[in-house]
Amino acid sequence: MQEPLDETKLSALLREARPSPELPPRFQENVWRRIEHTEESVAVSDTWLDRLATWVLRPQLAFALAATLVLAGAGLGWSRGEQLARSEAQARYVSAVAPNAFH
Amino acid sequence: MLFTEMKARSLNIVLLALIVGGSLLAGSYWVSQRWSARQMAASMDELEWLRQEFRLSDAELARVRELHEGYLPGCQEMCQQIAAKKLELETALAEATNLTEDVELKLRELGVLRAHCQSRMLQHFYEVSQAMPPEQGRRYLAEMQRLALGFHEQIEQSMSRTPAHEPHHH
Repeated sequence: MQEPLDETKLSALLREARPSPELPPRFQENVWRRIEHTEESVAVSDTWLDRLATWVLRPQLAFALAATLVLAGAGLGWSRGEQLARSEAQARYVSAVAPNAFH
Repeated sequence: MLFTEMKARSLNIVLLALIVGGSLLAGSYWVSQRWSARQMAASMDELEWLRQEFRLSDAELARVRELHEGYLPGCQEMCQQIAAKKLELETALAEATNLTEDVELKLRELGVLRAHCQSRMLQHFYEVSQAMPPEQGRRYLAEMQRLALGFHEQIEQSMSRTPAHEPHHH
């Protein structure tokens, strides 16, 4: 009957049987550099369009922008409506006092 | 691939935001314009326009209203006379194959009626302008002369620009 192998001897034997290749010089440093480079690439891809999209999706800003647009539109529309009503009233006056201008 | 998808998503969000923003602006403009025009038109008759445009006091407006209401019946009567004379002229023209004395007479009568109508109108403008503060009166007079008499001037000017109506040099 064979004696059981000592665990340390077994490990040494296994390492010898499957020799691991030697790592190139500065392997670890290069790995970290590549990781950092990838992170930088992700950061660069955050363009003005992405920033604008993120900004637009903020509820408070979106609400403020919408309210500003509605107010601006209402103000401009009100002013234009006044102008139209004035010109209509002016045309009514002129056609009342000077209908012969249109004969 | 992931970056392209992110860009497309951002682009869609921004485009959607622009569409929603544009719709809000255009919609509120349209609703507000219609509403204010309707409100103003309901509360603004032609003399109310005069009061606002020429900053008339209540007393001045009352005087202008009096002149206005006094002038309108005569003006309408003149309009009816002119319309009747135009009808007579059209009938005479339909029957004639040449320039007849009758057509010439109707033309002269129509001209006299129109001139009389314009004189009355100018007289009314002078009276209204005198019921206003001097500066506003001058502005009113200039504006009314431009609007009421400018129509004929435009036609005459456009006619004088055609090659057949080159201005003569004497």
